[in-house]
Amino acid sequence: MNDGALDPLDDELAKARLGERTALAVLVQAHQRAVYSLALRMLGTRDLAEDLTQDVFMQLNGNLKAIESNKHLGFWLRRVTTNRAIDQLRRRTRLPMTSFEDEQPFFSAEDDADPLLQRHLRDLLSDLSPQARAVLLLRFQEDLDPTDIAQTLDMPINTVKSHLKRSLETMREKSLGMQSARCEDSST
Amino acid sequence: MRKHTLSVIFALLAPALAWTAPNPKLAMPEFAGLAQKATESVTITLDPALLAMAGRFLDGNDPQDAATQEVLKGLRGIYVRSYTFDKDSAYQQADIDAVRAQLSAPGWNRLVETHSRKSRADVDIYIMIDNNQAIGLALIASEPRQFTIVNIIGAIDLDKLHKLEGQFGVPKLDMDLSKTPAPGPPKK
Amino acid sequence: MSQEIESRIRAALRPVAPSEDFSQKLLARVIADQPARPKPRRLPSANARPLVWWLTASLAACLILAVGVQQHLEQQRLQQSGLEARRQVVEALRMTSQKLNLAYEAVKNQSTSLSDEKSGV
Repeated sequence: MNDGALDPLDDELAKARLGERTALAVLVQAHQRAVYSLALRMLGTRDLAEDLTQDVFMQLNGNLKAIESNKHLGFWLRRVTTNRAIDQLRRRTRLPMTSFEDEQPFFSAEDDADPLLQRHLRDLLSDLSPQARAVLLLRFQEDLDPTDIAQTLDMPINTVKSHLKRSLETMREKSLGMQSARCEDSST
Repeated sequence: MRKHTLSVIFALLAPALAWTAPNPKLAMPEFAGLAQKATESVTITLDPALLAMAGRFLDGNDPQDAATQEVLKGLRGIYVRSYTFDKDSAYQQADIDAVRAQLSAPGWNRLVETHSRKSRADVDIYIMIDNNQAIGLALIASEPRQFTIVNIIGAIDLDKLHKLEGQFGVPKLDMDLSKTPAPGPPKK
Repeated sequence: MSQEIESRIRAALRPVAPSEDFSQKLLARVIADQPARPKPRRLPSANARPLVWWLTASLAACLILAVGVQQHLEQQRLQQSGLEARRQVVEALRMTSQKLNLAYEAVKNQSTSLSDEKSGV
């Protein structure tokens, strides 16, 4: 989701608003990764993430005229994705089941992937409330600052900061656990 | 005509009747609500990648590590969820029932079901057998202020697990699977 | 420490791509849903290429410089992860054996009670 002043996708957006299908396809391809990743990490399974991703882009179709720029589009997509995911999570009456086999590519399979940190992170995400989960993802996946997160989620900025602080504290504790293990083992 | 009809029916039903290999991996709830109430929670998720990584850091010259390496051979996963609370009955049996229900599926055999009046603990141990080999173990331990679920996947060598006695305090259990396990007292 | 954790979380949360199959279906669905409009007149595109190129070149240079440091940090990180995985294996087996002990004690106590009953104790 491009933040630059000269954004080539602004052209595509303008074309898409006028009905050009190729332009719409370009926009979908440019943003689907972010939308899908948000949906996946909010809802936890690939099936639900794919359904939500599709719903969001179908909703975009009907709202293109209201989108002013590619930056605005990014904001709109994040907002709709997270709010719809939060609604879905709130409506769940039973605890969601997670099969351990369900290890979809939740995280990117890059060479520098840290499987243990990823595990801690996944556990943290599943323990967080939907709103706190959304805050964490918007901050670290989407790189939004707290003000933008507050605007995206219609949440007071102090609440955003509080969620971030608690999540980072939890991750720090888990990381300290890892470091203690290293110190204990180095000393033997 | 009848023969032909039967063949058609069988062909249609064949996929449904096809043998599916038993799956020893349990699907666990996220326990998000319980994690917040617990004074201590342990979540261990060791998939094949992490088990392999752990194996590389075990010292074959250390007796405990060497015994652990032996147990790990052939294992494809170790999964633990354990929650400790600061008062009795802080969790509901319904929280565990979703896991317990999976153990009545074909493939799982109840090895032992115990209840201790002294410790007020219920411990149920299940084994999944395929081709006369144990391929999965599930253990559910319910205590007044703690519950623990352990799921071990892979070619479990009960003899090696037994040989951990003295390393971790594993008791010598009579693991002769040819004997019918004695039924425990009725569950509450 | 805080910065390091934040950058590791950021790295872990890099966006992931949906499956190719899903992407194709999504595109097809979204485009099919879009009502056909007459072709718009061509809009002038912004002259962004030189800026993009310089930005890309600068980023590549920064990445090359950072690789050496990154590799060293990566080695340390992997070692920490390995040791932590080992600790978790030991902890998991310890907990399993502890619960097996509970079962053992219950079975043993039951056997003791039964034999006491038989001998009239």
